[in-house]
Amino acid sequence: MDNLIYHIRHLKHFYNTHPALEIDQLSISQASVVGLIGPNGSGKSTLLKLLGFIDRPTSGEILFKGKSAEPFSDAVRFRVTLLTQTPYLMKRSVFKNIAYGLQIRGDSNHHQERIYEALEMVGLPAEAFAKRQWYELSGGEAQRVALAARMVLKPEVLLLDEPTASVDTASAQRIRDASLQARREWGTTLIVASHDWQWLYEICDEVLHLFRGRLAGSGNESIILGPWHPRDDGLWEKILNDGQRIVVSKPPERDAAAVIASDHIIVRLPGDEDAPRIPSLDGIISRLILEKCSRQIIAAILVENFPITAKFTQTQVRNMGLYPGQRVKMYYDPKSIQWI
Amino acid sequence: MNHISEGFLTAVQLLIRGDAETYSAVSATIRVSGYSISVSLILGIPLGFLLGYYHFRGKRQVRLLVDTMLALPTVFIGLLVYAFLSRRGPLGEWGLLFTLPGIAIGQTILALPIVIALSASAVETMDQHLRITLISLGANQRQLFFSTLWEVRHSILAAALTAYGRVMTEVGISMMVGGNIKWHTRTITTAIALETNKGLFSMGIALGLVLILIAFIVNLSVSFLRKRS
Repeated sequence: MDNLIYHIRHLKHFYNTHPALEIDQLSISQASVVGLIGPNGSGKSTLLKLLGFIDRPTSGEILFKGKSAEPFSDAVRFRVTLLTQTPYLMKRSVFKNIAYGLQIRGDSNHHQERIYEALEMVGLPAEAFAKRQWYELSGGEAQRVALAARMVLKPEVLLLDEPTASVDTASAQRIRDASLQARREWGTTLIVASHDWQWLYEICDEVLHLFRGRLAGSGNESIILGPWHPRDDGLWEKILNDGQRIVVSKPPERDAAAVIASDHIIVRLPGDEDAPRIPSLDGIISRLILEKCSRQIIAAILVENFPITAKFTQTQVRNMGLYPGQRVKMYYDPKSIQWI
Repeated sequence: MNHISEGFLTAVQLLIRGDAETYSAVSATIRVSGYSISVSLILGIPLGFLLGYYHFRGKRQVRLLVDTMLALPTVFIGLLVYAFLSRRGPLGEWGLLFTLPGIAIGQTILALPIVIALSASAVETMDQHLRITLISLGANQRQLFFSTLWEVRHSILAAALTAYGRVMTEVGISMMVGGNIKWHTRTITTAIALETNKGLFSMGIALGLVLILIAFIVNLSVSFLRKRS
């Protein structure tokens, strides 16, 4: 427990009366890399803003290194920093933008040297960029300058909210490299919200799946939205556009979201005689990704246009000869479905 | 048309010659507008920031009140201030009626809503990511306030200019609260009104030219400052 950097207890956050986030317990270890995945509006940005102590939660508390902390408190002010998807650069030069954080810390040691280092870290030639004004940058460059403004502070926690979503490939790569360098060199805890599953599974010690403001698991789940319709056999179903039926146990309400853990999905090649006698769906493998922590392979399988996640060992992938584009059959037990 | 062209000619002569009466009105105007705009900015910018930045119960009603005060007629402000500062009024003991500070009080009431409303709009329309950026770079509440104002400095300057233009050119408050006393509380605008009533167009036009010149110098300085920042 000693190496926890965050511990969340009974957290609830509302925007006016709209519930945005509800997390009962969550712990994050120091120097870990944690990924947040989930659709738009699932609460990723809200969670990052709360972890960055930008906003105060409506109720519950966030412990930082075991102590309760809140916005502007000395315990967190100079330790945690957040980079948003849309960077905001102040109306001043690149140099002054990066120097801002140092200035408010009253830190005047080797300003220029450190600012130049931060620029080089995000892949921008320091001499050429330091003097540029905020309006003389492309979107990708602005995002990299914004990251450099955080890197120069050598933060204990770096929160990244979809940092590569609106930048070009080269900038995205630089942002990824610089974030990991921070972790490697200074032991910075990285918490990254992104739709880039591949990147997250590659770098993260842990991936958290947020859905409708709640933690839905560790990222290896498939979430299927209703509405659900009753069948004659007591089960319920959702009919997809291609005519396939997703059969489930009785949902708590018509529009509930079904969660199928990847462990509960059995994948077989079409025509396999050893198929289990439970409901199945036809799909196509769209991506195979290596999960860093488990060394297992995550497969994203498209059923109609719906992504379902399954997990394989490397041996299974090799033996079955799986590859993106291959047709497969997925089997699942309706009783294993969780509802949120 | 002759009286107009003659007016312009005499105006130039009065200004070049350094006519004492003209310069007394110019000095009174600059001093009184200086007092009122200073107080309006000192009070109005923080209040505008609070109004634009924070969400609180009754914010919409406060905003409506401030916006309504933008349309306050100067003669009505003059009347109110006169009523308060006159010997029978609650602030009669202060002896501010027919003085430049008395006029400045009225002009502050005129300028304050302009500064508050325009500053609030500037802060309200500011990119929401600025707040997140400043806090996540480690700013405390005071640094957040000043850095935010610095980011919207051009809009705040525009608010200050608009308010200054309004106090410089108003007649009602200066006339009613100041009493248009020669060498004492006569401002450029009250002098123009008086001289025109007397049929002395040249003096009126001279003072009008000075008013335009002051406005030009102020705008030029602001434009220079804006370019430098």
